Amino acid sequence: MTLADFINLALNGLVEGLLIALPALAVTLVHGLARFPNAATGDVVAAGGFGGYLSFNATGSLLLAGLGGALVGAIVSLASYYLAFKAVMRRSVITLLLTSIGVGFFIRAVMGLSFGHELKMFSLPLTRSLNFDGIMLNPTDATLAGIILAVLAAVFAMLYVAPVGRMMRALADDPDLGRVSGIRNDRVMLIMWSVTGAVCGIAGTVLGMRTVLSPEMGWAMLLPAFAAAVIGGLGNPVGAVAGALLLGVVQELSTPVVGFVYKIALAYVVMLLVLLVRPQGLFNRPQGVR
Amino acid sequence: MLSYLLTILIVMLIYILLAFSLDLQYGFTGLINFGLVGFFGVGAYTSALVTMNLGLPAWISFPAAMLAAGLLSWPLGRIALRLRDDYLAIVTLGFSEIIRLVIVKEDWLTHGVQGISGVPRLWPEWRSSASELFLFGALVTACAVTTVVMRRITQSPYGRTIQAIRDDEVAVIALGKDPAIFKTQVLVIGGAIAGLAGAFYAHYITYIVPDQFVPVTTFYIWMAIIMGGVARLLGSVSGAVLLVVLLEGTRFLRGVVPGVTDAGMASFQLGVIGLLLILFMRFRPQGLFGKRSAS
Repeated sequence: MTLADFINLALNGLVEGLLIALPALAVTLVHGLARFPNAATGDVVAAGGFGGYLSFNATGSLLLAGLGGALVGAIVSLASYYLAFKAVMRRSVITLLLTSIGVGFFIRAVMGLSFGHELKMFSLPLTRSLNFDGIMLNPTDATLAGIILAVLAAVFAMLYVAPVGRMMRALADDPDLGRVSGIRNDRVMLIMWSVTGAVCGIAGTVLGMRTVLSPEMGWAMLLPAFAAAVIGGLGNPVGAVAGALLLGVVQELSTPVVGFVYKIALAYVVMLLVLLVRPQGLFNRPQGVR
Repeated sequence: MLSYLLTILIVMLIYILLAFSLDLQYGFTGLINFGLVGFFGVGAYTSALVTMNLGLPAWISFPAAMLAAGLLSWPLGRIALRLRDDYLAIVTLGFSEIIRLVIVKEDWLTHGVQGISGVPRLWPEWRSSASELFLFGALVTACAVTTVVMRRITQSPYGRTIQAIRDDEVAVIALGKDPAIFKTQVLVIGGAIAGLAGAFYAHYITYIVPDQFVPVTTFYIWMAIIMGGVARLLGSVSGAVLLVVLLEGTRFLRGVVPGVTDAGMASFQLGVIGLLLILFMRFRPQGLFGKRSAS
């Protein structure tokens, strides 16, 4: 393995990591405010992917495809909150978790019945990779990575600059104190579910452009997203993105050694190792069990 | 028709065993296990390989399957005991996926994605229908024995301890008992029961592939214990029966409604299960026969 090969793998790993970063961020934001790992996240990603696909076929514009994906993702996410999660919000983790599995099944079923199971592809022009002394750069990947970075920047600006972000973080930190301080929980929930849905929708559109679309593609993304969010510490936005990038690079660099199948398993192994050392994830403060 | 009925009953009994395993872990002890299918898979593969590679008679492979699945539960316990519920759910799910990926990758042993075909029936020298009937009888016996064991476990001082761990772990610690030991034991016993279910599955289906052990199966068993009601043996049994009725019912619909494809039917099945799961959690978390709420 030459240095150029190594750099190629690392770059590819960063792109893979960025792809996982969006759903991981969605998992962690939902967990911060609603206190459960949302197993329907992957299926919202897939729904957004189909939204982006339809929008791209209608307009031919990349930008509108992203917007279409974000819109569909946000709508599906809001619908899941108001129709399913809101009624059981004050119950236990397992109630919400099983509800989210039901929601995910339902979304996947609707997609399967609407779009069928043949794989669909965005008809994007094929691009040649640029070669810099053996280091390959694919323009499509660079564009998609740029889009993801812009989305991440927007979400973090919302979280750490805008007043609504401060409210979100306050509610995540201490819901009761937040409420008595006059933060309107309903409004914050509305914004949080739409933002996480939009983020998932864009993730689905980008994923569909880089690979193929299918109703099942969300499920393949859910577990890596969970792993990334757990490694960073559930509820911690910076941790989720860092966890995703770490996983992407480690997985890509290990592929020549362990092969393609174990590359996927590696995400869960890294997760187990991190939890053995820090049961609360890398970036969270220690918490007692329950 | 008779053979169809036998198939349904056998699948039902296998689901009952799996529901017992999960109910012991979650219903009675409060341990969230989203990796059940991994132990089911280990049981199936172990019993198939012990029979085929070591040339031992099929009945010896059943204890081997229980042992393997039980032993594999132990490391999961070591990792899981320090974790909160939400982390535990994700870790157990990941654990079952690691098991599945190992089965896919180590094809020198497991034949990888092609799976193992031609797993011998319980009595290969008998006619297949007679062998199936015998397996059915053995499965009924296994379910009866497991029911007795579950009753003995849950209605003893030990059973009161694990239920106390579920309800108030801090109080149990204050009484001078170590919850970690009990939790590990429950994980191992539950794993062994799931492994037994896997052994029956392998010798009945006679063809196993990694794709049969994807997490959806785990969620179906969760659905069963939620529908029936947790922490009640009657709940596990009725939930498993109801689950098979649901799964077969949606398949039956396909014969009635024209123009439905296989894939369409699978989607429809998934949608029905999903919707029911949402509705049960919201309106009847104690299930049909449960005394206590799943939440």
